[in-house]
Amino acid sequence: MHITRRGLIKAALATGLAPLAPKLGYAATWAGIEADAKGKTVYFNAWAGSETINAYIAWAGEQVKSRFGVTLNHVKITDTAEVVRRVRDEVKAGKTDGSADLVWINGENFRAMKADKLLFGPFASQLPNFKYVDVAGKPTTLVDFAEPTEGLESPWGMAQLTFFGDGSKIASPPKSMVELVEFAKANPGRVSYPAPPDFHGTTFVKQALIETISHKSVLQGVATKDLFATVSGPMFALLDSLHPHLWRDGKQFPQAQAQLKQMLADGELLMALTFNPNEAANLVATRELPASTIAWQYTAGTIGNTHFVAIPVNSKATAAAQLVANFLLSPEAQGRKADLKTWGDPTVLAMAKLSADDAKFFTGGNAPGSVTAPAPTIPEPHGSWVPLIEAAWLEHYGA
Amino acid sequence: MRTKLTALVGFLPLGAFWLFPLLMGLLAAFYAAGDGAAWSALFAHPQFWSALRLSLVTGTVSLVVSTVLALWIVAGVHGTSRWPRLAGHMGGFLSLPHLAFAIGLGFLIMPSGLMARVPGSLAGWTAPPQWITTQDPYGISLVAVLILKEVPFVIWLISSLLARKDMALMLRGHWLVSQSLGHGSASTWLRVFIPQILPRLKWPLIIVWVYGASVVDVALAIGPTQPPPLAVIIWADLNNADQAINARGSVGALFLTVVLAGLGLAFHAAWRLASPKIARFVVRGPSPGSIARKSALALLTFMCAIYVLVLLVLGIMSIAAQWPYPDLLPTQLRWAAWEQALASPAPLINSLSFALACVIAALAFAVMWFESVDERLDPVLLALAVAALALPSLLIADGQYLVFLQLGLNGTWFGVFLAHLTPVFAYVFIVLKGPYRAFDARYRSVSLGLNTSALRFWLAIKMPLLKPALAAAAAIGVGVGMAQYVPIQLIAAGRISTLSIEAVTLASGGNRQLLAVFSLMLAVIPLAAFACAARLGRQTP
Repeated sequence: MHITRRGLIKAALATGLAPLAPKLGYAATWAGIEADAKGKTVYFNAWAGSETINAYIAWAGEQVKSRFGVTLNHVKITDTAEVVRRVRDEVKAGKTDGSADLVWINGENFRAMKADKLLFGPFASQLPNFKYVDVAGKPTTLVDFAEPTEGLESPWGMAQLTFFGDGSKIASPPKSMVELVEFAKANPGRVSYPAPPDFHGTTFVKQALIETISHKSVLQGVATKDLFATVSGPMFALLDSLHPHLWRDGKQFPQAQAQLKQMLADGELLMALTFNPNEAANLVATRELPASTIAWQYTAGTIGNTHFVAIPVNSKATAAAQLVANFLLSPEAQGRKADLKTWGDPTVLAMAKLSADDAKFFTGGNAPGSVTAPAPTIPEPHGSWVPLIEAAWLEHYGA
Repeated sequence: MRTKLTALVGFLPLGAFWLFPLLMGLLAAFYAAGDGAAWSALFAHPQFWSALRLSLVTGTVSLVVSTVLALWIVAGVHGTSRWPRLAGHMGGFLSLPHLAFAIGLGFLIMPSGLMARVPGSLAGWTAPPQWITTQDPYGISLVAVLILKEVPFVIWLISSLLARKDMALMLRGHWLVSQSLGHGSASTWLRVFIPQILPRLKWPLIIVWVYGASVVDVALAIGPTQPPPLAVIIWADLNNADQAINARGSVGALFLTVVLAGLGLAFHAAWRLASPKIARFVVRGPSPGSIARKSALALLTFMCAIYVLVLLVLGIMSIAAQWPYPDLLPTQLRWAAWEQALASPAPLINSLSFALACVIAALAFAVMWFESVDERLDPVLLALAVAALALPSLLIADGQYLVFLQLGLNGTWFGVFLAHLTPVFAYVFIVLKGPYRAFDARYRSVSLGLNTSALRFWLAIKMPLLKPALAAAAAIGVGVGMAQYVPIQLIAAGRISTLSIEAVTLASGGNRQLLAVFSLMLAVIPLAAFACAARLGRQTP
């Protein structure tokens, strides 16, 4: 009797080892993944609210096409939640040929997909370029909104809540939520923030919660309705004092951060907010904002996190999707992403781990519109706080 | 027996590609609403009542004002030399998709828009004024878009009605009678014509009302945000990550439908109760007042000017590389956005292919129906077509999404095609029914005498004679197909993008130049379709 390797695997499958079979996919060699990926199309569902980001994804698409023969198709979405719904419905309907192969994700959407077993993997730590990730210096690359990633998503970029405006119109920028209230009082109708559930708006409210809560540690645990009700009083008091001085008396809000940015460029608002500390510098570099633009963070720190890419469990192109995720982690792609002229999104890599050649991809340096005095990063509250914050905000300010 | 078989074969594709998806979609939508917890979650939504009120006010005000304005214009222009041209031009106005118009009007009236630049540049303002124009809390800008878009539609409806030989004859007789009884033109319109016209437009006006009360894309572009109209809340719920909230969205779509249907019935009952009083008003008189023709013309001119300005501002915005406030014109022009849009033309090609494929299919299905099915069955199909348009598209789309999910059609070209076909066929059938059934049967008798085959007769005689009606139906079909957003966003699953999907994504704050480019593309294709239809209509003697 001949015993071949294939025969062994077949026998193993037949004798009840079938549940282990999918694992072979993750452990497959990288060369096998590259071969498997060739000629495949990856539908990358990614928030498309910024032209510079769309252009960067288009560049990444050109690269993976010419290097690995993988077609990257950017599915432009306004809210990642719609992908969560779509994938869940597809999986429930037994559709194995899912519509999404790669999703730009973090926070509550990751938590929802992880909890409902909608993600492929673990795959992240097997990516060849994962070794460059600054897991020690940037712990949020492994813990997403207090939820361990467990290799189900691969880090892509770093974010920190940052404010920006025209330095020639702002004498001293507000460096805390309390100062922001004073600033809005002095400049009525010229400050606003996007309405939650836009994630920028939710982050702004979370920042207010962090600055007003007495025991910050509770935010790292799972939230309940009662807990939220007992700790959120001071936050609503602060927002109550801020809102009357906002754009349209705080009764209407922009729907998205991009709108805020445009209203700043038009001069309708004095300041805007972003999750990308280099966005203002990028907007100066692309001449959308004047060179007098300044960016700042609150002195005591602002919320920061990591954003990731993940692969839905029903993707038909998991190999090609891993290849793209790995390319997005490469020093070259990360360096280009961090370049203020293209996107300016801070890298997840550790510069110390890079070779001298790879380090050259990072041009670095300060440009007009950069944050001059970086503040500490405050970790995100656990993802379970998000729906409660959004619902309570709507109840207080929605009608 | 033979005719029954022909009828069945003629109906089969229509049944499979249009009726089945429509009915299954409705069934699934009702099924999805059987979730008790979702109902209580809906009523507990903090914005529920205010959003519902906003939706109903938006739909009702836009219906009433656009009907009044349309009648005002028609009464003022009908019977003058301008009338035939006005009736012809309305197609062009109404073909412009609501979304493109809303985006253009937004560019016009926003605090940093063209309108605010005029006083700004004269007075030397340094910052845009704190005007509450777009996304005002009362939905005024949303209602303005709806009114400006529905007035041409209602005028077009009235002109189609007045163009019917029986209507024209009847109204001429009524005109002579009322004139000889001493009624002025205003009194004749108010007491005689309008009571004849309005009941005949009942269903199209209901479609206008439901559209205004349940539209999503236009409300996202220019509507209020805190609270938004109920349709926007439902839409956000349907796209949420949480299953319980998805269920709330499905329930919300059904609730909105039920409320609209209930109000429609209540209005119907009230109308019947009030009609004796109206009849008493009708017989009172005579009053010699005449129509204020000048005001009607002024109104028409104002409306045309807004349309021209909207298209103009979209054109300027599409090439405005830099346009600091309060300059009246951009300081730097660039074609970059056009180049970018044309470099990845998939949305344009997709939109075009869906619109064309749907129009061809819809025309074929309609002609097959007319040729093979007895005219007595028309009311049944008409009722279904009206239902496809008068039920909020949110409800049908949510149901179709659930059905197509099971059939594996989401994210496929065919699935998106079917979703487009639902409203496109409905419009094509409604527009075509009158002219097609009015076709003089004696032509066929003569040709039968000449031993001509049915196909040859259709191609040589019937099609050329019906060409204007077929062309008009096709043009409307293109306009309707291009304008779809809600069903396509759900069913395309991100795999297929269209112009309207790109435009809505960009409207939430993306690149304005690109947004203007997509809005213009969205506007130009239906306009071109109408220009072609008008040309084809003229060529026939």
